[in-house]
Amino acid sequence: MEKYIDSSYQLFIDGKWVNGKEGKTFNSYNPANGELLATCVDAGKEDVDLAVKAAWKAFDSWKNVSPQERARMLLKIADLIDENTEKLAMVETLDNGKPIRETRNIDVPLSADHFRYFASAIRTEEGHATMIDKDTLSIILREPIGVVGQIIPWNFPLLMAAWKLAPALAAGCCVVLKPSSETSLSALELFKLLSEVLPPGVVNLITGKGSGAGNYMLEHEGFRKLAFTGSTEVGYTIADAAAKKLIPATLELGGKSANIYFPDAPWDKAIEGLQMGILFNQGQVCCAGSRVFIHEDIYDRFLEEAVKAFENIKVGLPWEEDTIMGSQINNTQLKKILSYVEVGKEEGARVATGGYQIKDNGLEKGNFMKPTILVDVKNSMRVAQEEIFGPVVCFIKFRDEEEVIKMANDSEYGLGGAVWTKDINRAFRVARAIETGRMWVNNYNNLPAHAPFGGYKKSGIGRETHKVILEHYTQMKNIYISLTEEKFGLY
Amino acid sequence: MITKDTLVEDILRQYDVMAYFIKNGVSPFSCAGAYPESLGRLLEIKKVKDADAFIQGLNKYIVGQH
Repeated sequence: MEKYIDSSYQLFIDGKWVNGKEGKTFNSYNPANGELLATCVDAGKEDVDLAVKAAWKAFDSWKNVSPQERARMLLKIADLIDENTEKLAMVETLDNGKPIRETRNIDVPLSADHFRYFASAIRTEEGHATMIDKDTLSIILREPIGVVGQIIPWNFPLLMAAWKLAPALAAGCCVVLKPSSETSLSALELFKLLSEVLPPGVVNLITGKGSGAGNYMLEHEGFRKLAFTGSTEVGYTIADAAAKKLIPATLELGGKSANIYFPDAPWDKAIEGLQMGILFNQGQVCCAGSRVFIHEDIYDRFLEEAVKAFENIKVGLPWEEDTIMGSQINNTQLKKILSYVEVGKEEGARVATGGYQIKDNGLEKGNFMKPTILVDVKNSMRVAQEEIFGPVVCFIKFRDEEEVIKMANDSEYGLGGAVWTKDINRAFRVARAIETGRMWVNNYNNLPAHAPFGGYKKSGIGRETHKVILEHYTQMKNIYISLTEEKFGLY
Repeated sequence: MITKDTLVEDILRQYDVMAYFIKNGVSPFSCAGAYPESLGRLLEIKKVKDADAFIQGLNKYIVGQH
């Protein structure tokens, strides 16, 4: 197995790969077997400052690059990602623990497509002009907001980098991006490709700990906007940092999404949808369908088939072609998931299947969790209200639409959710009634560009994966023109 | 001895305490990684009513493990 990973990486600032000023580093490990993958720089305050300065220096010319030329570069980036699919997929698999079938077929292609989508979007972006009255012309233009700071999580490192970089670059902004210290490698490899296309300073990569590099970014006065994907707890910190500087922040935060099954759900697809909802990416998905609501008429049959499906999932080394579910990101997260299973049992839930770490068949050195279903769950239980972020799903029975809508909305989160039914009127009623930014109908966890994604309530602010995000990366400029030379008569 | 000012990152790196945190309603690790500030700040965000009691319990838990 070719590993594609360098033994050490540097920071990417002003078009150059450089060492950190403080000489600090951290190690990246393969969560599936504990092997050391690479050493990365643990950036300090001065590194962040240099990155911000480089971005501002580049902004003077980048903001004036035509949409046509920016689009050409974004399309070139997409092509390079495609050309390096196998390498990027394997790097992501080794660093994150997710299966190669997902990185190769989902993470990498969606990342490339994100750059293509925004390349197209900016070629059709236009301002507005209107005559306020016969002598007054109002023109509305959008201008890039400036240098933006972006902090991304470990669950979809490459894809989250694409979600952040593509619209910012399309809008004409320059970027300082910080990946999670858990998974910096695919972003580092991506930046090697970006360096072949973009002028120096347009994108800069800072690696390091949240308490160090991350916080230095939040403290830095040089950003005009912050963008963050991660937990709600850290989201508060980002929002606070942005508010103190009176700059905007877009936040894509946590969730506890409701996956709702009515008796007329398309059955085989429904069982697959359950698995897509909670086993995809080992359940480490902000919009995971972690509360499954099943109508009482189909509950017993659904549970029986779900247990069978879960027990047939091949949990294995993520680089093996037939692995369906890989490793959790690290031992800390695995212990969190196992702790929640215990909490659930203490609350009165029962483990229908799973609920333990897999420690055999070559998986002893990794962080592998058995796909888990908790039953006898009440919506008020902690396991039904708090984000577990693993392959653990709560099954909750319901009687009718009114009851399930009430339970689905009884959550501080509002990120994703789904309704499974062949009744189009019911599908729309339920989708519109649930307080959440994304409702899938008869599918789950499809996250392409061109459909906006983001949260209600404590799940965040703003929408990504759609051209509407360009508004967050630009400012509105109004040019208000008096076309007459006559005085107004006031003075 | 852990205090309000101890970084959550350092706590998780040095001690096996996830079970205590989760049992007591505070998640110190998420998709953003370890919470990037102090324990006191995390407890404030999570609206923990008695942060001192939480921290005292945490220190006892750590001692109990050894």
